[in-house]
Amino acid sequence: MKIAFKLAFKNLIGAGLRTWLNVAVLAFCFIVIVFYNGFLNGWQNQGRQDAMDWEYGHGQLLHANYNPYDVFSIQNGHGNLSAEKTEDLSAVLVRQASVYPKGRMNPVLLKGISIDQKVIKLPIKLLAQSDVEFPVLIGKRMAETLKVKAGDQVLLRWRDKNGTYDAANITVEAIFESKVATIDNGQIWLGLDKLREMTGLTNEASYFIAHEAYQPTAIAGWEFQALSTLLKDFDAAVQAERIASVIIYSVLLALGLLAVFDTQVLSIFRRQKEIGTYIALGMTRNQVLKIFTIEGSMYSIFGGIAGIILGAPLFFYTLSQGINVGSEIEGMGVQFADVIYPTFGLTLLAGTFVILVFTATLVSFLPARKISKLNPVYALKGRIS
Amino acid sequence: MSEKIIVIENLVKRFPVGEGEFTALSDINLSFEKGEFSGIVGPSGSGKTTLLNIIGSLDSPTEGSCTVMGKRISDLSHKQSAQLRNMHIGFIFQVYNLLPVYTVFENVEFALLLQKRSATARKKAVMEALEWVGLEKMADKKPSKLSGGEGQRVAIARAMVKRPELVLADEPTANLDAKNAHAILQTMKKLNEELKTTFLFSTHDEKVMAYLNRLIHLEDGKVAQDEWVTAKSTR
Ligand SMILES: Nc1ncnc2c1ncn2[C@@H]1O[C@H](COP(=O)(O)OP(=O)(O)OP(=O)(O)O)[C@@H](O)[C@H]1O
Ligand SMILES: [Mg+2]
Repeated sequence: MKIAFKLAFKNLIGAGLRTWLNVAVLAFCFIVIVFYNGFLNGWQNQGRQDAMDWEYGHGQLLHANYNPYDVFSIQNGHGNLSAEKTEDLSAVLVRQASVYPKGRMNPVLLKGISIDQKVIKLPIKLLAQSDVEFPVLIGKRMAETLKVKAGDQVLLRWRDKNGTYDAANITVEAIFESKVATIDNGQIWLGLDKLREMTGLTNEASYFIAHEAYQPTAIAGWEFQALSTLLKDFDAAVQAERIASVIIYSVLLALGLLAVFDTQVLSIFRRQKEIGTYIALGMTRNQVLKIFTIEGSMYSIFGGIAGIILGAPLFFYTLSQGINVGSEIEGMGVQFADVIYPTFGLTLLAGTFVILVFTATLVSFLPARKISKLNPVYALKGRIS
Repeated sequence: MSEKIIVIENLVKRFPVGEGEFTALSDINLSFEKGEFSGIVGPSGSGKTTLLNIIGSLDSPTEGSCTVMGKRISDLSHKQSAQLRNMHIGFIFQVYNLLPVYTVFENVEFALLLQKRSATARKKAVMEALEWVGLEKMADKKPSKLSGGEGQRVAIARAMVKRPELVLADEPTANLDAKNAHAILQTMKKLNEELKTTFLFSTHDEKVMAYLNRLIHLEDGKVAQDEWVTAKSTR
């Protein structure tokens, strides 16, 4: 085995340009696969973290009638829970309402959350310091939709506890920026006490956001959704992207492997005298098979190493600077941060390396087997065509 | 007291050609003793290379038997015939078949690598073999930098480095000028005398024949004449 490695190594170095072309193609495959996977990993980690930080906390306890994807469920989707059951939970009350910026009607969701909550990053505590009469908090997407700035006043209409319309001027106290669109689009945040008072829904909540310490127990009329359940759609979106990317890698890898395969097949013709000589010098078929297979694997080993070396600047740069994907793709329905920091784990690097070497060895083995079975008499005469 | 290194009995070799068969060798009965410096001579197509390939276990007889160092070629497995070539037989070809990516030293070393000899043993043997052929100064050169005569001398060193019992040389002078041809023949003759290595040539070169002790004339795959002659002196 050691001899085979030594000989294969010498043959590759001796072959010059052909070797480096194959290595370059495989290094390119390696870099693209590692880079894109690192990007997807980074996206997934960041997306999950953002969703946790801004929306889901450590899970949510929803009123059985409340469905965040169904506006008609809001009307009756609320209830109250005794204080001992809401330990380590932050209540959110959701109501429907309309705002009239410049006289145009916009349906909105009013979301009330405790002014001093710490479970999500929403800067609702800004409302506590406000000196205006009716401060609210909105996200930058909502601000764009309504075309309002911080300090602007808008007319709000909602139904009070008797179901009759009430109206007031609300003031946009601050505009927050979050990568999570689902706590921003079409929503106006205000203090929980204020919303309860406006709607007469004292002590009521549509759902609760769980703190880390929360221990879910079965509560009749309420349903706990763990973080993994809440992130299911997001994870599925990333997964779909991964599957699409696997197709791209496969094509790319196939091209790289084709180069190796081609070199191997050509060897049957170009190197037949060499092969005949090996056999005349007393090499067994197995040894010839080993040399040629190892040559093929070595392309990928060199390719992987070259990929790590050549890719390192790119990997390190994007690790520290992130990749600016812009906010244009936000409309795709999945959460997308503006800047994604890829994660290149050892598993990713090693895994890609193993795949590369394994596949290259495989595509080298078949032609090498043919090579090892050449009739030495014909090979020495250069008669194989 | 003499020992037979090659015994060929009723050997027939046929090649499939299209629908039928072509008989390249028929009814060959020959034996060679250790230390012979003999040649198979005959016109092109007479079957010289075919016979040498069978003796070298690169090919096998269709009928009859060929026994080399007590081993029947047709009975050997691939591994066994590789072993026979590696340990006991050196090949010298018309085109030198040096491995282009290796240096002269590495080309000569190759067979010893396969024998798994230690690095020091290899180095000693290779340098000695290069001395035999007068190329010790060329050890680090690549074959592409060598002249034809030097290339063939490297091939001789490669065949001889493992001190095989038998060297098969298929038209070793065909690509050499007269001066180089004489030089390598003298080298081989000297090795034959000093190491008692058996040499078997295939040739139609008069210069080669002049050095041989025994000429086996092949015609159309048959032995037409088997004669012992007085060889040209090496001095
Ligand atoms: N694999 C083969 N298939 C068919 N015919 C073959 C094969 N190998 C050799 N022959 C034929 O067998 C005959 C003897 O071939 P061989 O190569 O042994 O001749 P040779 O004496 O070495 O000739 P040369 O002096 O040209 O090298 C030739 O007619 C050749 O065409
Ligand atoms: Mg011939």
